[in-house]
Amino acid sequence: MLRAGSLAFYVLIVEWARALLAQNSRFTAAALLLGGVVLGFAALGWPAQRLGLGTSRFWLRVIGGLALGAVLLLPAAARAGGAPLLPAGLAAAAIAVSIGEELAFRGALYAALDELGGAPLAIGGSTLLWTLAHALSHPPEFLVAVAAAGLLLGLWRWACKDLVAPIIGHVIADIAL
Amino acid sequence: MKRAAALATAAIAYVLAAWTVAPGFYDGFGPTEPYRWSCPPPQAGANTKPSAGHADIKVTNGKTEAWSVYTQDGQIVIGFLPDSFDAAGKTTVAVDITPLDTCPEPKGIRFVTNIYRITADAPLKKKANITLLYSNLKPHPDDIYRADDPGGAWTALPRSQQGQPYTIYSSTDKLGYFAAGYSSSATPPPGGVVTIGGGQTLPIIVAVLIVVVVLAGLPLALMRRRRSVQGPEEDDEEDS
Repeated sequence: MLRAGSLAFYVLIVEWARALLAQNSRFTAAALLLGGVVLGFAALGWPAQRLGLGTSRFWLRVIGGLALGAVLLLPAAARAGGAPLLPAGLAAAAIAVSIGEELAFRGALYAALDELGGAPLAIGGSTLLWTLAHALSHPPEFLVAVAAAGLLLGLWRWACKDLVAPIIGHVIADIAL
Repeated sequence: MKRAAALATAAIAYVLAAWTVAPGFYDGFGPTEPYRWSCPPPQAGANTKPSAGHADIKVTNGKTEAWSVYTQDGQIVIGFLPDSFDAAGKTTVAVDITPLDTCPEPKGIRFVTNIYRITADAPLKKKANITLLYSNLKPHPDDIYRADDPGGAWTALPRSQQGQPYTIYSSTDKLGYFAAGYSSSATPPPGGVVTIGGGQTLPIIVAVLIVVVVLAGLPLALMRRRRSVQGPEEDDEEDS
């Protein structure tokens, strides 16, 4: 309970601090990059297998990641007339924050909640915290979609016991959008 | 099968939820507020009309102060240096920014922002810096253009170094009409127009992608399940 609570508090504080810092446009890239690294610290001390980072059937995990990326991008790709490419600095920050968020939410937090109350708590709890974590960086009307993305990634983590695909899918979505 | 069904349901729920909002809501790269369009593109969703801006720049000892004038939604900002206007005999110089309700499309240019009219009640005598925000729903602009009349000739202003995402900068020595865009004779700028035709093909694409996710996840899920029945393997975490 203490570990799950501490992790939840940690990731929320980091995400909210990142969002507040990113509101100053001069610090957007730095906030994303630093936020990604600090979020990744949440996974320290966890065995890779408990985070879903095993290496078995790696190609299936990669294909799964590409498929998740395609689904995450679909609503935007189908409607947008085009999107600006991220500048190189921001693209690196996008990769960092995507990996950091997945390690924190679907990795460490999921594992801690899973130990505490099993898969339902892990999926529901990580999705709820993921949504709350984005409350400062996204307008309220976006939060349902954010929650749905978190639920999809969390369910993948549960169904396939895999974090590689959510990381790949999240990176693809962040870079492309 | 339960896991595959849950994944498919979540994928459908996500697509439906994401469809209700403007594209590009991941991790804060997009503009924090949706762009306010005079003429919203079809993919924009709910739209709020762009706002206007006004400022009275104080004149001290015959010289105007340094000042920035912007619209309330922040989509355009024009910055003036000290003594930017010929303000003889005035105590203030009024500057107004008004978004055009219409969206003329001059030959050879594709605008990706609203067109704004900037006026002042004194002649400009120094260059002013101009900043325009743009949306993530269209290709990013190469230049800011200026015209004396929206139906007349548009001129690309000198390019300034790229700064923040979704923001374009330039400078101008004349007021008038301003918008950001790119030359339509050129290939649309990077950002790569990712366009999938809508209409009847879209439901098919959605269905195919959902099937792809389920098919991609199914082997992994089944293998995990089989292994959890046989006992944990070194590389796998325990089933819960």
